[in-house]
Amino acid sequence: MVAVNKNQTKSERYFNKALIVFQFELLYITSIQYLTSEVDMDFKQALQYARINGEECIPTVCGMCGPGGPGGGCGIYAFVKDGRFKKVAGMDESPVNNGAICAKGHAAPQWVYSPDRLTHPLKRIGKKGEGKFEKISWNAAIDHIAEVLTQQKKTFGAESLAILSPARRSYSEYLHRFLTAHGSPNYGHSGICFMQREFAYCYTVGDFPRPDYGQSDLIIYWGRQPIYSGPVAKPARAFIAAKQRNAKMIAIKPSVEPDVGLADIWVPVRPGTDAALALAMLNVVIAENLIDHVFVDKWCYGFKRLQAHVRAYDPKWAENISGVPASQIVEVARLYATTPRAAIDLGNGVEHAPSASDAIRAIAILMAITGHLDRQGGNIFAMPPKAAPKDILLKERYTPDLINKLVGPEFPVAFQPFLEEPTSAYYRILESVLTGKPYPVRTVIAPGTQASVSTRGTKNVLAALRKLDFFVVVDVARTADIPYADIVIPVATSYEVDHPFQMVPGWLMATNRVIEPVGPFKSIFEFFLDLGNAMGYGDEFWNGDIGEAMDDQLEPLGMNMTELRQQPSGVVYPSGPPVYEKFEAVFNRRSASLNQGPYLPQGKVALYNTTFEKAGFSPLPEWREPPESLNATPELTEKYPLILSDYHTSKNFSASWQRNVPHLREIQPDPVLHIHPQAAAVRRIVENDWVIVKSPHGWMKVKAEIYPGIRPDTVMILHGWWQGCQELGVEDFPLADGGTNVNNMYSVDPEKAYDPLVTAMTSQTLVQVEKWEAS
Amino acid sequence: MIPASEIEYLIDFDSEKCTQCHGCEIACKAWRELSYGVQYRRVLNLWQGEYPSVKCASLSLACLHCVEPACAAACPENAISKREKDGLVVVDETVCNGCGICADACAFEVPQFGKNGIMQKCDLCRDQQLAQAAPPCVDTCPGKALSVIEVSQSEKMVHEKKIAQLLRSG
Repeated sequence: MVAVNKNQTKSERYFNKALIVFQFELLYITSIQYLTSEVDMDFKQALQYARINGEECIPTVCGMCGPGGPGGGCGIYAFVKDGRFKKVAGMDESPVNNGAICAKGHAAPQWVYSPDRLTHPLKRIGKKGEGKFEKISWNAAIDHIAEVLTQQKKTFGAESLAILSPARRSYSEYLHRFLTAHGSPNYGHSGICFMQREFAYCYTVGDFPRPDYGQSDLIIYWGRQPIYSGPVAKPARAFIAAKQRNAKMIAIKPSVEPDVGLADIWVPVRPGTDAALALAMLNVVIAENLIDHVFVDKWCYGFKRLQAHVRAYDPKWAENISGVPASQIVEVARLYATTPRAAIDLGNGVEHAPSASDAIRAIAILMAITGHLDRQGGNIFAMPPKAAPKDILLKERYTPDLINKLVGPEFPVAFQPFLEEPTSAYYRILESVLTGKPYPVRTVIAPGTQASVSTRGTKNVLAALRKLDFFVVVDVARTADIPYADIVIPVATSYEVDHPFQMVPGWLMATNRVIEPVGPFKSIFEFFLDLGNAMGYGDEFWNGDIGEAMDDQLEPLGMNMTELRQQPSGVVYPSGPPVYEKFEAVFNRRSASLNQGPYLPQGKVALYNTTFEKAGFSPLPEWREPPESLNATPELTEKYPLILSDYHTSKNFSASWQRNVPHLREIQPDPVLHIHPQAAAVRRIVENDWVIVKSPHGWMKVKAEIYPGIRPDTVMILHGWWQGCQELGVEDFPLADGGTNVNNMYSVDPEKAYDPLVTAMTSQTLVQVEKWEAS
Repeated sequence: MIPASEIEYLIDFDSEKCTQCHGCEIACKAWRELSYGVQYRRVLNLWQGEYPSVKCASLSLACLHCVEPACAAACPENAISKREKDGLVVVDETVCNGCGICADACAFEVPQFGKNGIMQKCDLCRDQQLAQAAPPCVDTCPGKALSVIEVSQSEKMVHEKKIAQLLRSG
């Protein structure tokens, strides 16, 4: 150990060793030169910058889109001056972001110091929805929650507790662990992100086939936003690299975003009709015999039945549904099938329709029969990581009894737990509060998620929040649901704490504390440790000791948190050379369901799916209309002539978070509806007009953005709008009718609004758009 | 009369490497502590063509430090000048009265006016102590669309034309 010198700054104490190197370097740098090269900031430079400018430099992990989340885990250097967090730079050494950092990352200090930060634990004193609270202590809040949960467990059973899932976060496992320790399976997963692809992929081709972007001559970005989902992460950089080496790029989505601007072909598909498009592509490649017969004969099951099945789905049929010209469907199908190194990057856009699982299955089948699976430049199966931290899910406690208690299974119970843990569909948890079917959930904990702007059916969600026996909100800043909360728990941002460790593929890094917490609270990890302890689950929660929790999980990696912290830019695990054609291993993978049956019973790609057939679902991918669409409900089109859908990611906000951050709000100040110039002109709508958007389910008042790059029959808006921005004088918008919340616009009809297999919720409906005439 | 500068610097921009993530824009705001509403660099989406052959191009734009700066020529107070040693277009804060005429003259809509009403804009971070790192906008770009380069006067003028054309195309 290096002795601690009290005159040293915090960052210096962390990184004594590196400082010696830095001081040596400093001798050589007598004046600041103006460089014309492209230099990203590495640790030495960051320290040097801090020294010159009288600041402290703390290497850590960005917390703005949720570390451990989809685009999360970027390395940063955080700079502190006079105890105040000032700014960040991207960490050059991090293999996640290679020195870059996005707008959100740069806006972190404004998020940390926002007037919208929650500062004290609160207890409701007014009526639900009124938003009247009194301040209580952290310990009093923990004790109160523990008391209610203990009582409810005794009276209604442990399953009366549900925890709503945020987007994947580094604390997600702690939520599962708490539920399992308590005895409830009700983890409320959104039903609209990632797991839908994972499920349909696993049961069709055995694993998630990842695009081998770096080697592809053709990349199809399908319902995918390779940029906004993580602007500095690998997919976005791979996108730029592909452009630079002149790989052909095709973008399939309803509107033009920057990725489409750089693509060679835009396929302007109607929202929610990807399954029809995929089925027609299967029709083309089979009819034109553009398939890999050797692969199909050896590694696919049920080709003849698939061949007969897709005959009905010709391009003309798909044109009528998807709005994509038949000639373009044929062109894209041929291009893909005849380009040996061709990959499909399938995005979240396909997961928002009642036909989501069919679309994903059809696309997986397309990859397989055209010979693009696990081959160079195609869609490859990732190698399992060589090293991983300790698994903290209490998997040995998953039993049929636990699974059968799921209040609204995200996947049918025969397939639970899928991947890692049992899950209920997020919306169905709230629905149970209203219907009491199969039983009412009594307590909901919402950590890092806001139900009223995250899931569909806003009016029902608000009614459920009002009716809930007990509702706990755990978050960093004010959320839309807070007026309905019984207890509000403020938690620290990742800049205010020294945990967790972040492990993403290829990189392990310690979270280092940048500043002290700005209020009397702890981290979300500590919240679950403290609550676990108070509930008598101390054995499962390291007796409330966060340091012990970290060291326990790091143990398989051969280090503890102190040792990890001494690596200022973390530990990089280089990936080995790629191994292709791992068919034997991947097609025989065992599932995580209780019987651990194989994903693919024949050990082959399930073109014809006997597993789904046995469970009562279609063995072949089919077409299913959204609840409202031009074809499904022609009777509505006179009153509601346009298709509405929403964007799930944006360039500057993380889902429904961070509208309160001025730097980010200035990029996109208003909730805008993208409307084609022709559709706007016939309605006498001009740029920046306030407009009313009406669907059969609700209405919103938003601003019009005249958008040349969108289908003329479709309008789209970013989801998650509600929050104001105090610094810029922008007020909150209403959550339901008359507001800006697109979730309020869609059907939640249990018969029509879901994919029956993966519970993807629809984000398509029909609307009318009119200019707002203030009276 | 604007003195000629032998050396010209610029932050070059490659549209095919820009994904409109706005990282450069906010890196600048954060590192230069700009007040609300002020931006030295802005990322623009430029529409080209019509549906269905519609495209969009990207532009990350800040002061080009023009060879013949229209802002300087227009300034009634002579507060704006082109520095001989490095071609930087600079504002004398003690002279500028915030009249805004420069903003009207600039084809690239660069001049900004913060709380004190004085014109401000990108200075290429030349006086920042960056420990040999590139300016924050350049440093943060995931696609390396931005780069600081040294050019001749004629090269700079070609660049000015290129950016003006890109702007007009949208």
